[in-house]
Amino acid sequence: MRSASLANVVDVAAAPLLSLSEVTKRFGGFTALSEVSLDLRPGEVHCILGENGAGKSTLCNVIFGVYQPDGGAMTYRGAPYQPSGPADALAQGIAMVHQHFSLVGDMTVVDNVLLGRGRGVLNRKECARQLARLGEDYGLPLDPFAKIDDLSVGERQRVEIVKCLIRDPQLFVLDEPTAVLLPDEIASLLAVCRRVAASGRAVVLVTHKLAEIKEVADRVTVLRGGRTVVTSDAPTRDIDMLVRAMIHGDVAELDGAAASTLGLGNVEPVGRQPPRSKVEALQIDGLTVRDRQGVTRLDNFTLTVDRGEIVGVAGVEGNGQSELAAVLAGMVTPTSGRYYLGETDLTGRSPKEITAAGVGIVSEDRHAVGCVLGMSLAENIYLNRLDEFTRFGFLNRTALQREATTLMQRFDVRARGPGAPFSSLSGGNQQKAVLAREITLPNLSCLVASQPTRGLDVGAVAAVYGHIRDACSRGIAVLLVSSELDELLSVADRIVVLYRGRIMGTCAADVSRKAEIGAMMAGQAQ
Amino acid sequence: MTAVDDKPSAVAAPRFGLRPSLLIPLAAVAFAAAVGLALIAVIGVPVADAIAAFVDGTIGSPYALAASLNRACVFALVGFGFVLANRANLTNVGGEGQIAVGGIAATAVALYGHVAGLPLGLAFILPTLAAVIAGALWGGIAAVLKVRSGTNEVISTLLLSFIGVWLLYWCVQSPALLRKPMTSSATLPESLEIPDAAKLPLLTGDYGFPVHLGLPLTLILAVVVGVILARTLFGVRLRAVGLNPVAAYRAGISTTRTIVVALSAAGALGGLAGALMLLGEQYTLKDGFSSGYGFDGLVAGLLSRGSIPGVIAASLLFGFLRSGGINMEMTAAVPTALVVVIQGLIVITLAGAALFIEKWERR
Amino acid sequence: MSWELFAVFIGSSIRLAAPLLLAGIGEMVSERAGVLNMSIEGMMLMSAFASAVGAWATGDPLLGLLIGILSVVPVALLQAFLSNTLRANQIVSGIGINILVLGATTLAHREIFGARSRAEIPGLAKIKLPLLGDIPIIGPAVFEQVWLLYAGIVLIVITALVLRYTSLGLAIHAAGAEPKAVDKSGLSVTFVRYGVVLLAGLMAALAGAFLSIGDIHTFTEGMTRGAGYLAIASVIFGKWRIGGTTLACLLFGAATALQFQLPALGIGVPNALLIMLPYLMALLAVGGLVGRQMAPATLGEPYRR
Repeated sequence: MRSASLANVVDVAAAPLLSLSEVTKRFGGFTALSEVSLDLRPGEVHCILGENGAGKSTLCNVIFGVYQPDGGAMTYRGAPYQPSGPADALAQGIAMVHQHFSLVGDMTVVDNVLLGRGRGVLNRKECARQLARLGEDYGLPLDPFAKIDDLSVGERQRVEIVKCLIRDPQLFVLDEPTAVLLPDEIASLLAVCRRVAASGRAVVLVTHKLAEIKEVADRVTVLRGGRTVVTSDAPTRDIDMLVRAMIHGDVAELDGAAASTLGLGNVEPVGRQPPRSKVEALQIDGLTVRDRQGVTRLDNFTLTVDRGEIVGVAGVEGNGQSELAAVLAGMVTPTSGRYYLGETDLTGRSPKEITAAGVGIVSEDRHAVGCVLGMSLAENIYLNRLDEFTRFGFLNRTALQREATTLMQRFDVRARGPGAPFSSLSGGNQQKAVLAREITLPNLSCLVASQPTRGLDVGAVAAVYGHIRDACSRGIAVLLVSSELDELLSVADRIVVLYRGRIMGTCAADVSRKAEIGAMMAGQAQ
Repeated sequence: MTAVDDKPSAVAAPRFGLRPSLLIPLAAVAFAAAVGLALIAVIGVPVADAIAAFVDGTIGSPYALAASLNRACVFALVGFGFVLANRANLTNVGGEGQIAVGGIAATAVALYGHVAGLPLGLAFILPTLAAVIAGALWGGIAAVLKVRSGTNEVISTLLLSFIGVWLLYWCVQSPALLRKPMTSSATLPESLEIPDAAKLPLLTGDYGFPVHLGLPLTLILAVVVGVILARTLFGVRLRAVGLNPVAAYRAGISTTRTIVVALSAAGALGGLAGALMLLGEQYTLKDGFSSGYGFDGLVAGLLSRGSIPGVIAASLLFGFLRSGGINMEMTAAVPTALVVVIQGLIVITLAGAALFIEKWERR
Repeated sequence: MSWELFAVFIGSSIRLAAPLLLAGIGEMVSERAGVLNMSIEGMMLMSAFASAVGAWATGDPLLGLLIGILSVVPVALLQAFLSNTLRANQIVSGIGINILVLGATTLAHREIFGARSRAEIPGLAKIKLPLLGDIPIIGPAVFEQVWLLYAGIVLIVITALVLRYTSLGLAIHAAGAEPKAVDKSGLSVTFVRYGVVLLAGLMAALAGAFLSIGDIHTFTEGMTRGAGYLAIASVIFGKWRIGGTTLACLLFGAATALQFQLPALGIGVPNALLIMLPYLMALLAVGGLVGRQMAPATLGEPYRR
């Protein structure tokens, strides 16, 4: 919990630093924010809680001047506030750390901080001194002359934060900053938030994790469907109410897995029968991947997954999971090691051969690898099996559309029709279509799913897990890669933890061992 | 100029065929033509005289009409190739070089391949095939560089164009290659005339209306390319590779094979265009043989926005523009460069309007 | 090969590399910021023509140079507008500009000079460098060049310093590598990218003027003959670095110089092969590189917030 010395008394009566009054933002026919009203006071950490798609990021972007609201008004320091763009917001003392970093990878920390500041000849030494001072004040140590590409994700985020703090902002907005961090790093980030607030500034922290709210929030506002549902002055006391407000339903009704992605760690996993057979389906033997620079990304990874078993791969992003999944998908040839499906050696085979062997792949980056956005739903849902609809080189589009319609119904993919452009589907429906394609491979015996629920709303998350469990109960071996530990704990049978490309340990997916797994994710051997 | 301003109001009825994808190219052409007319006036040539010369050069005589159609076939073939490769997001700007190597190969086989006595039209079929293969290889070089080293095909096809054009120059300069035997110092740097048997048959047999076999061949290829793009698995693969090569590869599509086939096919069509020019019209290989037709074909491909009928329409337009432009220079003292200006304006206008068209079509 | 011939070879290599170098460095800066100008060729041709006409009409090559630079401003603005504001395909719009400029300059040349004229045009002065120019044999052949070449070298050094040591240099680099970072830091990606296209235009204008009023003192139709594309190839071959681009340009310049040197040595290589050589070398150079990791991440992609 929060340390007493850092806790500051928020003067409730003080004039708000920024207040939003009935702010509305539309994109085409879609209303992302609807009459949102909100007060941000100096000295407080104000959390914005909401599901994916609730409008949290839009709200931040309106405050930061990226979007101009279509209705309502904002008041900042007692005067009307209508930022013409991010530059204007920055000039007025509002800074934001975005969900996705925007750092220049082949520039140094100092150069990234200096970008857009000052004119003429650069004074890198002076900037490095300023960085050192800020680092001491807020607990953000950084090597000013390191290249961004050489930094860990946590360090990169520190650079983003320092870039903001060096401008001495009055209002500091952080959009889902903890999604990519280790437990330790999350704790220190939250401490930074407290220190910034303690210096009399306002901090807006966007999150969907309840643990963080308990830890740091002075006040919480819940967004759902673009509306403010409720604001609480005592978040820890109101936590159950906040959860219900966020998802608009009863906590107990939630699918266990879906609930745990929200951070409701105390929800028991839904009972699942133990693995039916001890027949090895997927056998991975000493896979090692070194990148072009010779850095080892995946180190001697060895694992077997039995038929009907779900094995989770846990770890903070960037610790070798992507490389593992890419090798299994045939997108990357490993430096050494082998990988078998039953008796068949699939090492270094092409994606086509791996698909033919019966391995379904749900890629972590849906838009980059999983689908072709510019093509139709029908073409995407059969993208790897289009030759089944081909005779003498000619594609039978009628049959394709018919079969695609059948799959759409089975997997509850909602779209205008099989001919709808894939880009017109929502993220959840896109993911269901990708799952449908990979799970219905005729000879499927293994499924490798990476971050399959990322960016989906609760309903779609439940559907995705339903299909994965269903496949598992049919005797499919499932390897599930996720950076959400809670989700793995409730879905998987076993969990292996990756840290810097190596397996730190393996244990049963048991909620009681969460702390132990968290320690392994941070690099402590079992 | 007013033509451009008038169009947007008509655009408001998308369901009735007046789509912006059709209207904007038309508007671009009208705009460019208007600028062209204005330039004629600026030069000081009476516009009526220039127009008369233009019409005379395009449809004024059966000969002029045939020449325009033959040119249009060349542009169309290069344009089909552009559209085909562009489906895979490849920009083939090497038509000029592909025409050149096609011309070289066709000349070499027609003159030195002992084809004159062959039956069944093999005398012109073999040189044509040689040109197709040469063009495919020329396009294939760019494809291999792209697949092997990631070389951008725009820069490689452009450089290959320069190389092809100078290769042709070399061939007609060197007696050891295709230059006709040097009898005196006045011998022109060009090849011998190809034997009659190797010349493409004229449809009417009448030199007053010299439309050759290339016209039906081009129409057949229009259908073939159109069907490949719209109805075949290969067409879908081209599109998938063009839109998202990583996802296409993950789904089992060989991106390298698709790229090689697409660029080679585009090159083959360019080589065929070179064969039509040599075997159908020019009969001797000379320096400057490709005469910018590769760029005209490229522009036709761009103008069509991926549609085969669009390529045909644009090719006809440029065929007539070229023929009319040549006649304007000869009889009305308007430089043919005017036609080049008009083409440049069309490309720029369309490039600038592309985003607007895409946005509109997505609605 | 005698020392005299070698010195002449070095001198003409530098002279022939000069337009590539000027245009290539401008294009490199532009590509570093993410904009690909296929229109370098057209910009060079425009300036070659306009500066020749300007020098001919005013009798002053310096005024000609100025007119050449001014003539490229609208071309560069058109390219910048198409590729940044209208977010057009940069390759297609560049090629369109090249076609337009080729047609327009040819048309205007015919109108002003007639079809076959080779009017004598006053050219830019040559300057012998002090000390270096006095070296026997090498001095006159290598260190007596058109002053525009020296000015270009100074410009290139300034460019290198600006890229390395100023906030503008950071903004240019970031606009190509991670435009979002530029946007979020309060700078305008569009502003930076308009600026670099104008710079590329300025450098291409110097290159074009060098061709017509610097080197051969006349204008011929389509006289750039693909030099703009060679400049782009040299940027790729030079891996988007000033040093690499300079070396690539010198290499292509030397390949072009062989055209005039080998016949002088009595070596019987076909002329066409020698003319082809720079393009062939450019193709091999560009094709021999593996991957495009070195290219700015967003090269050729219009920025959209």
